[in-house]
Amino acid sequence: MEKVLLVRYTEIHLKGLNRPYFERALVDNMKRALRGLEPRIEREHGRIYVRNIREADFAEAQERLTRVFGIHSLSPAAAVDKDWETVVSAARELMERRLEGVTGEVTFKVLARRSDKHYFMNSDEINRELGGRMLELFPQLKVDVHSPEIKLSVEIRDMAYVYCEEIPGVNGMPVGTAGKASLLISGGIDSPVAGYMMAKRGLTLSAVHFYSYPYTSERARDKVVELTRLVTKYAGEIRLFLVPFTEIQMTIYEKCPEKETTVLMRRLMMRIAQTIAEREGAQALITGESLGQVASQTLEALACTNDAVTMPVFRPLIGFDKDEIMDVARRIGTYETSILPYEDCCTVFVPKHPVTKPKLAELRASEAAVDWSEMIAKAIENTELMVIK
Amino acid sequence: MIYFDNSATTVCLPEAAEAARRYMTEEYFNPAAAYAPAVRLERDISQARSAIASKLGASAQELVFTSGGTESNNTALIGSLSAMRGKGRVVISATEHPSVYETAMELRERDWDVQIAPVDETGRVRLDGLAALLTKDTRLVSCMHVNNESGAVNDVPAIHALVRRSCPEALLHVDGVQAFMREDPVPCDLYSVSGHKVHAPKGVGALYIRKGVRVKPYLIGGGQESGMRSGTTNAPAIMGFAAAVGGLDAHRAEYAEAVFAVKKRLFENLSRIRDVRLNGPEIGSGAAHILNMSFMGVRGEVLLNALSERGLLVSTGSACAAHKRGKNRILNAMGITGDRQDGAIRFSFSHFNTKAEADEAAALIEEQVTLLRRFRRR
Repeated sequence: MEKVLLVRYTEIHLKGLNRPYFERALVDNMKRALRGLEPRIEREHGRIYVRNIREADFAEAQERLTRVFGIHSLSPAAAVDKDWETVVSAARELMERRLEGVTGEVTFKVLARRSDKHYFMNSDEINRELGGRMLELFPQLKVDVHSPEIKLSVEIRDMAYVYCEEIPGVNGMPVGTAGKASLLISGGIDSPVAGYMMAKRGLTLSAVHFYSYPYTSERARDKVVELTRLVTKYAGEIRLFLVPFTEIQMTIYEKCPEKETTVLMRRLMMRIAQTIAEREGAQALITGESLGQVASQTLEALACTNDAVTMPVFRPLIGFDKDEIMDVARRIGTYETSILPYEDCCTVFVPKHPVTKPKLAELRASEAAVDWSEMIAKAIENTELMVIK
Repeated sequence: MIYFDNSATTVCLPEAAEAARRYMTEEYFNPAAAYAPAVRLERDISQARSAIASKLGASAQELVFTSGGTESNNTALIGSLSAMRGKGRVVISATEHPSVYETAMELRERDWDVQIAPVDETGRVRLDGLAALLTKDTRLVSCMHVNNESGAVNDVPAIHALVRRSCPEALLHVDGVQAFMREDPVPCDLYSVSGHKVHAPKGVGALYIRKGVRVKPYLIGGGQESGMRSGTTNAPAIMGFAAAVGGLDAHRAEYAEAVFAVKKRLFENLSRIRDVRLNGPEIGSGAAHILNMSFMGVRGEVLLNALSERGLLVSTGSACAAHKRGKNRILNAMGITGDRQDGAIRFSFSHFNTKAEADEAAALIEEQVTLLRRFRRR
């Protein structure tokens, strides 16, 4: 008996003639996720089969695949010869394991599907026949066709696939099918979640981080690298750009009105991020902003920030409460790293009373009072690239 | 590089490192083994034990080697209380190290009546505050000798007398990690020390258990350390510990003077910067090796990062404590809050530091504080 992982995918169904493209992208991403486990991945009739996984790696493979966008669910299945008695014995083995330690009545139903139309029984017959055999073998079973506790599935294709477990995937679209965007990543809770959400819609990510050397520590930097690495578990490889920002920050604080510093800082960050994104072939920026969360995220402030760039800016968390964002962060495993308490570039120099309703004209004027081009060019030139896998 | 973080750890003395090396590569035997070289090693360990115990005014039988300060403190609290029948009150001071404080919080979970004794604004335990907490059913009092953040030196003899008078049944534990080899021995029932704070290798410490005091072993196994602390004897670190203690002891007065001279010099230099506050006791009355000052309007962590880039290594508080703003438990207990807490930096010295370093450090700090204050939050 061979053990395989049967993978079902999501919206890719809808993509008409583009479907092979989406499927290929999904298979590529699965291969990357399963790197080191030597899987053989086959695509067939709206399903993907992962074969050749060693027994010891099976749980690991399942876990990794639950982080691949585009997968709706997966089932560990026994792939056996279509000979009827062989199918029954595979079903019995699965059921034995499933019922281990379970006492009392358990409801089930058999769900047969048949793409091999030459098979000697049709789906209904398989349902009845296999259901009967199971009832004989396991007296604790009882049929319930509406809401069974166990769904024993049999698919008759090139081989017979038998399974009774369906593990939910993360859904979404395969990373890489929607183009490329640059994530502004801070070190807080929100930005990794924003990156996760946009990767879920199929975007390939790169990331831009601003740091205030030497006023922010090596640990703060390690934290951002680690957060990026955690996002790669879902989003695949991320090119992380580390931009030295101290000179610009200090100039803002020296030359511009104190209450405007935060929004001005964000405008300059966006501008630098856009330049880097353009070079990377990215077509949009992603931020973790959420409406009204802090002074720089009021509608007025967001409008002023947006004004600094021409690229679309995606803010997937815009309508989320902090609690909701924290829930996602916990679920995807970035929360614990995000809350490590290090100063980052946004907290080193902060005004006590930032303006919450900045006027665009005033900001533009404050900004125009300084020639930023050289400082921006220098920051970009000294930007460090780390490829996080 | 200027290393002003000797309360976090110290550089290993060459003779201590050499001793550790020798007992790893030449005399590497398990001292519990039966053959002659192991027996010789056992004798060496026993000499080391006597030598270290004598610095505490104790006998060799009263000293148990541990893995360090945290284990000593954990054993002192949990081990001694486990050996008692019933429950009662445990009193600790507000500025104890996490290895005492968190252990006490754990004891509270186990239904001990844990009370926290207040300290004054210099970080010293208030005797009146402590006296008010000592009840007949008090079983243990734990109070550190020298505070690791403020440099405050507690009046342990007075605390000892107070405990003996108010609750004669109670044990007095003293966390002496920052005081060992710097302050004179004090009367108590249990005393914790750590090797790496006195130029020995990391991974070794000791707990003094006064003769007659019952402590339940914390680690159980092969019965090493007279059954008090099982686990293969860490001979290299213990021999290094003894070598470090010997090396320090030979120059104790001279080193103490040198360390204080550096502290005084740095304090005087830094006092010339405006809006600077001293946290902890007056310069002459605290521990000679710890200086804590606040640079108002500057955030400690930011200043620390800037100084570290220029080769001056300092700390914003205990390396073991969380770095959360406004969450410094020690400074809060001393009533140091807000900007003053945010701007606090701890400097801690060893005899390897010089007055020239103090001058250089002060210049760096003044430069950075001035720079950072230009961006100060209004």
